[in-house]
Amino acid sequence: MLIAALKLSLLYWLLGILDTAALGWQALTRPIVVCPLVGILLGDVTTGCILGASLESLFMGISAIGGSIPADATTTSYVATAFVILTGADIESAVAIAMPIGTVLASVTMLPYGLFSPIQGFFTKLLQDNKIKQYEIAVWVFTFISPLINTVILFGCIYFGVDALQLAIASLPAWVMTGLGAVSSMALAVGFAILTSQIMNKETVIWFFVGFVLVKYVNLDTVAVAVIGAAVAITIFLLEKKIIENKGKPESKEEEEFF
Amino acid sequence: MKNMMISADEKKLLRKVEIRSHTCFLAATMVNMEGNGFTFSLIPAIEEIYKDDPEGKKEAYTRHQQFFNTHAVPFSFIVGLAWAMEKEKKEKGSVDGETISSVKSALMGPTAGMFDNLFFNCLRIIAAGIGIGLAQQGNILGMVMFILIYGVPQSIVKMWFCRLGYTYGTAFIDMMFSTGLMASFTKAASILGIMMVGAMTAQMVYVPLNLILHIGPATLEVAPVLDAIFPGFMSIALLFGYVALIKKGWKPINLILLTMVIGLVGALIHIF
Repeated sequence: MLIAALKLSLLYWLLGILDTAALGWQALTRPIVVCPLVGILLGDVTTGCILGASLESLFMGISAIGGSIPADATTTSYVATAFVILTGADIESAVAIAMPIGTVLASVTMLPYGLFSPIQGFFTKLLQDNKIKQYEIAVWVFTFISPLINTVILFGCIYFGVDALQLAIASLPAWVMTGLGAVSSMALAVGFAILTSQIMNKETVIWFFVGFVLVKYVNLDTVAVAVIGAAVAITIFLLEKKIIENKGKPESKEEEEFF
Repeated sequence: MKNMMISADEKKLLRKVEIRSHTCFLAATMVNMEGNGFTFSLIPAIEEIYKDDPEGKKEAYTRHQQFFNTHAVPFSFIVGLAWAMEKEKKEKGSVDGETISSVKSALMGPTAGMFDNLFFNCLRIIAAGIGIGLAQQGNILGMVMFILIYGVPQSIVKMWFCRLGYTYGTAFIDMMFSTGLMASFTKAASILGIMMVGAMTAQMVYVPLNLILHIGPATLEVAPVLDAIFPGFMSIALLFGYVALIKKGWKPINLILLTMVIGLVGALIHIF
């Protein structure tokens, strides 16, 4: 059990880095890839493949909405496949418990995001001090270290079982979980504020609120807002273009003096 | 279009940037999401463009450290475009930093929406459908097919997109500049950019206020009252509070630490 848990944790750690940080595919962390690989490591490829098919169908429609993931497909695939192959449980019962496991794990795997936010200041500082090589090393080291918390959690889930994880979470004071959740959803405002302060000026700031209201009140998605925004931008562009073109003509001279 | 041919040196650099643009989720944090991936992708380009201009280089790096978030595939296109804009900024002065930030902000929302639908909601479903069919029979080919249909094409399209963003970006800016319309374009881009930032703020920033005031025997929940006045009031207040602090010279790191303190202390005293 210990060896199996170690092997799977290592796979989870490296595959996550390869898939998200190095390739950017978000394909190798899907159940249909994870389960067969876990099967290979634990010596039962067929079961891994069949579970991969079942879990992929189960998780197919579930995607991240507004930054919160309802159930984590990746960690669930590891735990459920290990559960079936190591304990000999049947696949149906593994699929049945997959969703509750996924919900617990999703709430845990999101936590480091808020926790690690302050490191960003250090990264920017390195670049501003022209320490480019150090920056490159630092972001990669961070990429390797930051999934370790989740890797340890996954190890615990396989070695001690998911019930133990639930107990451990329950023993944390409630304010820690609530607080970290609040930090995650508010930390994004820092990023948007930096962006806003860069591109905002007196003439354009009002359009921030137009975009905001279109989403909050009208519930449009960003593509729809972009179409409206593009129409506004193109109209203003064409108006300005006309003004510039007219400036070249002699009859507009009076107007220029007037202004 | 002219200017579409690129030199051997550019080709070498392009290859480097293309490869690096795979790392879009590198060191992602809640503060700038793909900001580190974006910077990392552009390092060879920025080093080349600003090799004798340390001040410009510092500005460029700070600029690309900003929040960025889109789907991984159009990410490469915007990286190529940002590279073209940086080059034009340094060589001809035809673009300013504000425009580069505006164009990036304007593009991230809609490209994310389009390509999420194209890749995540369409190609992935097709790949999974084929993969599941094979895997159900215990066939390892199911996994292989899924990777071949969903994973590998992303890399191929990314490579092509990066080059497209760079070459078309250069040609587009040259055209705008030569017709004297760059100032109008800058204004239009910043309107679209700030509007998209507003839309994304509404979508993603959330202040989980759970404050209940006890006034004598009566209780009052604060969040619904604020939302009745203006939905998302707290997100806007938070955002512009941060903007005001940035204008006062606050560093991002201090804003993040402040956020952590507010979040944890707030939860401890039951504001959240």
